[in-house]
Amino acid sequence: MKFSRVMAIAKKEVFHIIRDPFTLALALLLPVMMVSIFGLAIEFNVQNIKIAVFDEDRTTSSRKLLDTLSSSHYFLINPAKNQIEAIHLVDQQKDRAALIIEKNFEYNLFSGRGAKAQLMIDGSDNSTVGSVLSYFGSMQKIAFEKIAAKKLPTDVHLKTRFIYNPELNSRWFIVPGLMVVVLAILSILLTSLTIAREYENGSMELLLSTPVRSLEIVLGKLTPYIGLGLSAVLFVYIIARVFFEVPFLGNHFVFLTGCFLFLSTCLAQGLLISVTTRKQQISMQISMMTGLLPSLLLSGFIFPIESMPLFFRGLTAILPVRWFMNISRDVFLEGSGLYELKYDFLALLLICSVIVFLASKKFKRDVEP
Amino acid sequence: MNEIAVRIENLVLKFGDFTAVNNVSFEVTKGEVFGFLGANGAGKTTTIRVLCGLLVPTSGFVEIAGTTFENAKNANLIKSKVGYMSQKFTLYNDLTVEENVAFTASLRKIPIEVFEKRKKELFEFISFRKPQSTMVRDLPSGMKQQVSLLSSILHDPEIIFLDEPTAGVTSAARKKFWELIKSLARTGKTIFVTSHYMDEVEQCDRIALMKDGALIALDSPDNLKKSTFPGPLYELSPKRSLNFAEIENVRQGNYFASFEAYGHRFHAFPISEEKWKDFKDRYEQDFEIKEITPTLEDVFIHLEEGRNK
Repeated sequence: MKFSRVMAIAKKEVFHIIRDPFTLALALLLPVMMVSIFGLAIEFNVQNIKIAVFDEDRTTSSRKLLDTLSSSHYFLINPAKNQIEAIHLVDQQKDRAALIIEKNFEYNLFSGRGAKAQLMIDGSDNSTVGSVLSYFGSMQKIAFEKIAAKKLPTDVHLKTRFIYNPELNSRWFIVPGLMVVVLAILSILLTSLTIAREYENGSMELLLSTPVRSLEIVLGKLTPYIGLGLSAVLFVYIIARVFFEVPFLGNHFVFLTGCFLFLSTCLAQGLLISVTTRKQQISMQISMMTGLLPSLLLSGFIFPIESMPLFFRGLTAILPVRWFMNISRDVFLEGSGLYELKYDFLALLLICSVIVFLASKKFKRDVEP
Repeated sequence: MNEIAVRIENLVLKFGDFTAVNNVSFEVTKGEVFGFLGANGAGKTTTIRVLCGLLVPTSGFVEIAGTTFENAKNANLIKSKVGYMSQKFTLYNDLTVEENVAFTASLRKIPIEVFEKRKKELFEFISFRKPQSTMVRDLPSGMKQQVSLLSSILHDPEIIFLDEPTAGVTSAARKKFWELIKSLARTGKTIFVTSHYMDEVEQCDRIALMKDGALIALDSPDNLKKSTFPGPLYELSPKRSLNFAEIENVRQGNYFASFEAYGHRFHAFPISEEKWKDFKDRYEQDFEIKEITPTLEDVFIHLEEGRNK
């Protein structure tokens, strides 16, 4: 292998990149776009849920319950004149839920018969139901403590504390994952295009007619994209730390190792696609199918892998994104090191070797006589 | 004694079950302009790709510029001795002329001082007048082909393979390109060229004709004409418009070894003197008859059609 040939190809590739508006735009704008969409727009923490309330009881106790709800920033109380109106408000989708406090609420409470209030939630929007229920549960407890003016005697006292992300800030969760997604799409797509382009233009013939080796072509073509990929990582990292104030508790070296391993896997995947299809158009589609979709849907980026059906859980095991997603989040938020992440690194290494092997074998057979 | 530049014996190349090149043997001497013809899919490009070290022969003996080629081992040695200009356009459109040429030079590891000298010579050779910083996409197609040729001979190869180098360029550019080819041959380079233009093929020293992977003719243009048409060839112009049945009657009459339509005229090669007389007796009033010297086109149509029968 000759280093000078690798550099010659890399240099030519840089010319291609800086002269092709599409590649350049993709490389520069994609990370910015992804960060703005996922980092700013997606919010899993539901706040200010509008809730219609009909308080038939109108006693100190019922008012204390409502005060507790409204003083939290989770609920916005919308008083209704009667039961019908409260339900109507939910029907019209003006409110997410309706709370109806029965007459004799306070009387029943203190006489020990058990006070009754009815909560109706609009079940058509799954994501808010969960939040309403969980917030409501905790609100209820606080309210009864207030009403009874002392702590309720309970046998078991569960106290919840979230570790690693105490405020359950969804950005802390999203942004380290975002890095994985950006890296995956950028590197798979761009590499798959670069080699397919050589085949499509016929310039592969020029490369082949010179004594250049397949490894030199691959390394030369990939070097600029490794650079691009790593600068995308750096970009998202800076945004994450400075703008979103995501803590980074782990070791930078461990993280970089993971990035490099993951980047190699993606580049090899792009290469494999490109050598197999030899057409830019199809390469792009397959890259989107095998790069974008799994990294958004099957990597655990948004939807937890644990709650997937068995088949899909098995499927995610062969996706490099799934493992790097773990690595990225755990290094950022938990400060995990190589030892804690040994399985993830091993899995990534294994997948990486398999894909690199397949891609280089296929490419070599194509290129060398 | 002429030096042999290319020697192939019983070359066979298979892609799975498909035999692209079937038992082809020939020799090309140094300094020869060797024309390589045949329909698309006849096996020309495959043969050339073997000779350039891009494909390993399935069987047979191949020697190129003194290097034998049986397995992939010698491929790189061959690649350094031959220049290959593929039928696909191989320059990068988004690179300048200078960048393209420099890229090829660095792949071939040509030392910088040699490259600078070579580049100056070759740009003069193709009389390139535009600035070298012109983007390749802005060049007219004839000039692109010339720059492409320049890139493929940068390393001063002994043998140059040109696969349809003049496809899709103007006739003035084709003429200029062939002047370049001939002056390269005069400097002792062996040129191996494929083309679809008969006027170009006519300028080759020898021509090989391939059909369905086999070599069906190999000789100089003049000899090919003589050996294919030992007797006279006639051009028949119908005096009145003949319908399809009448023409089919002539064809079915078995007067001619070849009877081909050229526009509304026919080129006819009689089977024998007697048959020709028979034909004249019957059809003289219908056709204006003129004896013509065969063109290469007549030769190839006759040879290809002859093989089909």
